[in-house]
Amino acid sequence: MDLTRTDEQAILADTAAAFVSRECPLARVRTIEASGDWHDPTLWTAMADLGWCGLALPTEYGGAGQGLLDVAVLAEQLGRGPVPSPLLESTTLAALPIAWMGSPAQRRRFLPALASGRAIGTCAVFEPGMSDAWSDVARRGAPRLDGHKLLVPWANIADVLLVATATGLWVVDRDNRSWACERHDAFAGTPLFAVTLDDAQAEPLGPFGPADDVAGPETTRRVLDATAVVQLAYAVGAAEACLDLAVRHASEREQFGRPIGAFQAVAHRCVDMRTDIDACRYLAYRAAWAFDCEPHDTTLAVAAALTYAADALRRIFVHAHQVHGASGFSTEQDLHLFTRRLTELEIRFATSPRHQEQLARAMGMTTDTA
Amino acid sequence: MDFHFDAADERFRDELRAFVDATLPGWWRGMFVDDPRAIPFTREFCRELAARDWLALAWPPEHGGAGASAWTQTVLREEMWAAEEPRGPQYMNLNYIGPLLMRYGSDEQRSRFLPPMARGEVIWCQGFSEPDAGSDLASLRTRARPHDRGFVVDGTKIWTSYADSPADWCLLLARSDPGATRHEGISVLLVDMTTTGITVRPIDTMAGPHEFNEVTFDGVVVPGDCLLGQPGRGWELVSAGLTFERVGIARYARAARVLEHLVAYANESGRSREPIVRARLAGLRARCEAARLLAYRAVSLQARGIVPTVEASTARIHATQLEQEVSHAGLELLGPLGLLRSADPAAPLAGEVQRHFVRNIPTTVAAGTLEIQKNIVARRGLGLPREP
Repeated sequence: MDLTRTDEQAILADTAAAFVSRECPLARVRTIEASGDWHDPTLWTAMADLGWCGLALPTEYGGAGQGLLDVAVLAEQLGRGPVPSPLLESTTLAALPIAWMGSPAQRRRFLPALASGRAIGTCAVFEPGMSDAWSDVARRGAPRLDGHKLLVPWANIADVLLVATATGLWVVDRDNRSWACERHDAFAGTPLFAVTLDDAQAEPLGPFGPADDVAGPETTRRVLDATAVVQLAYAVGAAEACLDLAVRHASEREQFGRPIGAFQAVAHRCVDMRTDIDACRYLAYRAAWAFDCEPHDTTLAVAAALTYAADALRRIFVHAHQVHGASGFSTEQDLHLFTRRLTELEIRFATSPRHQEQLARAMGMTTDTA
Repeated sequence: MDFHFDAADERFRDELRAFVDATLPGWWRGMFVDDPRAIPFTREFCRELAARDWLALAWPPEHGGAGASAWTQTVLREEMWAAEEPRGPQYMNLNYIGPLLMRYGSDEQRSRFLPPMARGEVIWCQGFSEPDAGSDLASLRTRARPHDRGFVVDGTKIWTSYADSPADWCLLLARSDPGATRHEGISVLLVDMTTTGITVRPIDTMAGPHEFNEVTFDGVVVPGDCLLGQPGRGWELVSAGLTFERVGIARYARAARVLEHLVAYANESGRSREPIVRARLAGLRARCEAARLLAYRAVSLQARGIVPTVEASTARIHATQLEQEVSHAGLELLGPLGLLRSADPAAPLAGEVQRHFVRNIPTTVAAGTLEIQKNIVARRGLGLPREP
């Protein structure tokens, strides 16, 4: 047991922190966000050159062979930006699932491009009317897919699209011009799209053909869990930036003749942010570590992290705005760049009752009739 | 980062758990119960631990310890606190009074005081709070006046746990230089509790009789060789000591144990099918994991020789509120039957939940209130301005 970073993790974090402050200051974040796509090819290339697209991919496909924990360490620093980029979702929604479950041919075909940043990947999961019951996802014919998916991140620029169905994940290649997408009008952040698959040529992910009805949703859950954990690490970075802003404001803003941070009512809100952020950070790291070191035993760590984060991210949001007073609501100030993202991440990845239920089961609560 | 205990520590946990299961009598309900068997049992239990080298487990061998790692010690703390601390008062010796002596004591003090602690033969109490000096500890008024044989102590200490156990020694905080400013001029004295002039008055509490005491010092002579560290530099010692104490208690482990019992109760009673019960207990389990990891972060720093002041307060902020929340959730789950105490045959879980609840009423007050912990994080962790 040792919760301090290894030398390699410290170097990765320091490199990423320096990169973010140099290459993606808040002015650039605003520019990228205003661009519509939220995708800055120059920034993307710079990050790809640092090897971050393939950080956790096998070395034989051009990756760096690191683990999900290292991706989480990187994600936290990107969140401090907050760097708008498909990098993390491309990693956890497409590249890692292909590395974990793809056939040798699929790995050879997709991973080198995803690892080098020549290709961007994503995954389509939600369907209209669907809440959290992944098993309801319908597959409409194979090897061709028809259907409508919602809330797919980066679908307009993705080269590889994974599609969650009742029989597991399918891969659709951009070359087949096989999906149409329309941007959602969403509060907060990452570009999200409604995706239509119309007789799209697809192949099941993995060497064994379509999984059975039980394994299908399980593989999808695993991908979503890994994604949620990495996004939580990103949220930790964004929350850390919120805290920096709150502490600065509380130290500089004077009312009643003294800095408002000298009042315990204000100071303790900052402390509550500190203690919640610290908890989220180690819960996220612990869960990411489980993917690397206890891959068959990730449920409790993932469910605990996201169950905690669902409440904590909301509290952090509330404290950050309360400490800032009216100025935090103004988009002339920087706070909203982080807090909008926090809410997006909280709602997209943490609030699901699925995590609570997974945790209830993992801690031994039965649903048997007494 | 590495998130698991090594195999040797896991084996030690199994051995320890088997030992505890075999050794704890059926009547054991922790300390502060109206049961004259409790204190003598904790003395016996500590001797048994010492015989296995498990008492001063992580102390260096030259002080009678087994030289184990901070993580092996963490296993010990977790298993002990989860079992309602059968070491009784002596956990304080191991966690922070002993380490303070190692850090600040003279060679003579170390060889005099540490071996009896390592053998589990001695009970210490701490004389910090006073009737008019609680959160504002630096305003303490107990005086230690220079005297030809050392010091003469006059004053009153309060909320002194175990003083009537009886304690053999007291780690006492007293003002030795009335002219100095608040944090200066405070000294730490090691006081023999059998010295003439000491009066112990037990204070009954909501948890039962004699949890706390008021200790009066009236012209108590303390020899000069019982001054710990430099005269007037006691505040620094106490800050380090309180950090050790805050890391030292594995409160999350007790919360996790009670939560396990609540899960078993919910399963047996069929209440585990209720979504609201599942959600409530799952939320608390998530908080247990958070509190555990934050304690491990503090231990990780301590294992590298750092005094993790801010991290210890952060861990304590989580763990103390968690203990309270788990016990209250337990009362909600058990309903009115949860109010029954262990002597009542109808008490579910043998009255454990109400006992845990009552005992944890002062948890967010002891060893620095929740608000003081937050002040520490605000100033030392975040660099926020001092309050007016």
